[in-house]
Amino acid sequence: MKNRPRFTLYLLVGLSVVISFFPIVWLILTSMKTTAGIYAWPVQYWPDPVTLKNYWSIFTETPELLRYVLNSFIVGVGCTILTLSVGGLSGYALSRLRMRFAGVLMVVILSVSMFPPIALLPALFQSFLQLGLLNSYSGLILAHTGLFLPYTVWMLASYFRTLPVEIEEAARMDGMGFLRIFFTIILPLSWPGFVATGLIVFIFSWNEFPLSLVLMTQDAMRTAPVGISLYPGEFAFPWETISTATVIAIIPILIITAIFQKQILGGLTAGSGK
Amino acid sequence: MITLNTLERRTQFVGLGFVTPTFLIIALILIYPVVQSIILSVGQSSVDGFEPYQFVGLKHYAALMVDDRFWRSLSVTLIFTAISIPLELILGVGLALLMNETFRGKGLARLAVLFPWALPTALNALIWRWMYNADYGLFNAVGLESGLISEPMNWLGDETLAMASMVIVSVWKTSSFMALIILAGLQSIPRDLYEAGRMDGMSRWQEFREITLPLLKGSIMVALIIRSMDALRTFELPFSLTDGGPDSATETLSLYAYKVIFEFVEFNAGAAIVVVQFAVIFALSLLYILTLRGKD
Repeated sequence: MKNRPRFTLYLLVGLSVVISFFPIVWLILTSMKTTAGIYAWPVQYWPDPVTLKNYWSIFTETPELLRYVLNSFIVGVGCTILTLSVGGLSGYALSRLRMRFAGVLMVVILSVSMFPPIALLPALFQSFLQLGLLNSYSGLILAHTGLFLPYTVWMLASYFRTLPVEIEEAARMDGMGFLRIFFTIILPLSWPGFVATGLIVFIFSWNEFPLSLVLMTQDAMRTAPVGISLYPGEFAFPWETISTATVIAIIPILIITAIFQKQILGGLTAGSGK
Repeated sequence: MITLNTLERRTQFVGLGFVTPTFLIIALILIYPVVQSIILSVGQSSVDGFEPYQFVGLKHYAALMVDDRFWRSLSVTLIFTAISIPLELILGVGLALLMNETFRGKGLARLAVLFPWALPTALNALIWRWMYNADYGLFNAVGLESGLISEPMNWLGDETLAMASMVIVSVWKTSSFMALIILAGLQSIPRDLYEAGRMDGMSRWQEFREITLPLLKGSIMVALIIRSMDALRTFELPFSLTDGGPDSATETLSLYAYKVIFEFVEFNAGAAIVVVQFAVIFALSLLYILTLRGKD
């Protein structure tokens, strides 16, 4: 009798795991089929023969797909670094420096985080065009940073709040300045918070679509999700290339999620619950 | 000699310095564009913004009122939100309850909850588009072979079916996020409440209804509002899955606004759509902030 609920539990867990993973498994299987295998009817469930030819063609025939992944990396890393450094400073000020209006500023940051990205598009496109920032890494990095800064400030502020105040007070007694306290005491103590926030911001930036679509209009500057979605355009839809490129574009994200699942989980729930 | 007063003043000064870069970037990337969208929506201007701007009043809003495609996209957005959010909530609560149990293989289960969240929506939509494919798709193959369906279905080609297909993809991807927020709420419920309940001889269902659910109300509210705001601005899902088709049956407000702005190249008309959408979402976000306030 006692085993009954355990059995149901494992059944339900198993079911959720299978449902979560099957699209990715199907994607990977598709990417290892020959063109004939992909368009076979009845459907070929298992690749027969298994081939890595599609992966080879990404290097030889459609190198632009690797370029998209590289662009995503540059933008993602740039955005993460900028977001953490700018957001870290203000998160510290708003949570620890007993600033006037800190509460009001936090609410302002929270409300702007809810702006729909589409609402930003007409004006951002126009000003980026006038400023010559279209199709530039720095432009998209700046745009992504603006988009994800509110989340970063909230996350880091809530992390700083968990650190004991006494250390800072002691340091101030010793005559240390604010910047030195921030860099030599706060930063080393709060790196787990920075890691969690940084990983989540990187994933956000990697996955971001509307701004990346509109602000990078040249094919060579597209990020991975946008480039692959638009590949190859109107007439044909070569699934062998698309599924292979998709595997390559999601692998970095899947690896990060798998390795840092605890940090990411903690970061996500801390950011949304409070 | 530093007096308290100068220390206080210095703190304010340094704090200001620390927050300035953040507010500059936010003003530049978030606030200015929204204000500019409002200005664009009541005027006429060239796409590159170099021609002089001309104020035209509410002309573009009046045009929207008689634009069938606008109303259609608004209703598509609302229907999509109204169907997917309750489904997500039920699944989310279920998943959260599961994840709150202790069992072997919990790491794998946690990964299964995180994976759908971590995938880029646009690429996720492509993967499903291929599984939905009417000629070579996985769903038709499995459905036919198992006898669940008697003939191949055109998942993305029929108006009702396309909406249902889009809802399924969205629910698959985002129930897990709903579950994460609710799980955080679950873990903050004190254990001894359940022990007390057990003493009183409560059944599992009674425990859920009388302890868990009332204490989860806050987290559920937060999850609902965050997810609704996301659903109301859904863009890349229909962009990659159906391109809004068939016949605008899955064209969300965001997708329609994008097409008006960048395909029909009518910045001012598009800005009006964007402002309407913004107003809806902003009202919801105020509700969210008030809810959060109430929690503290």
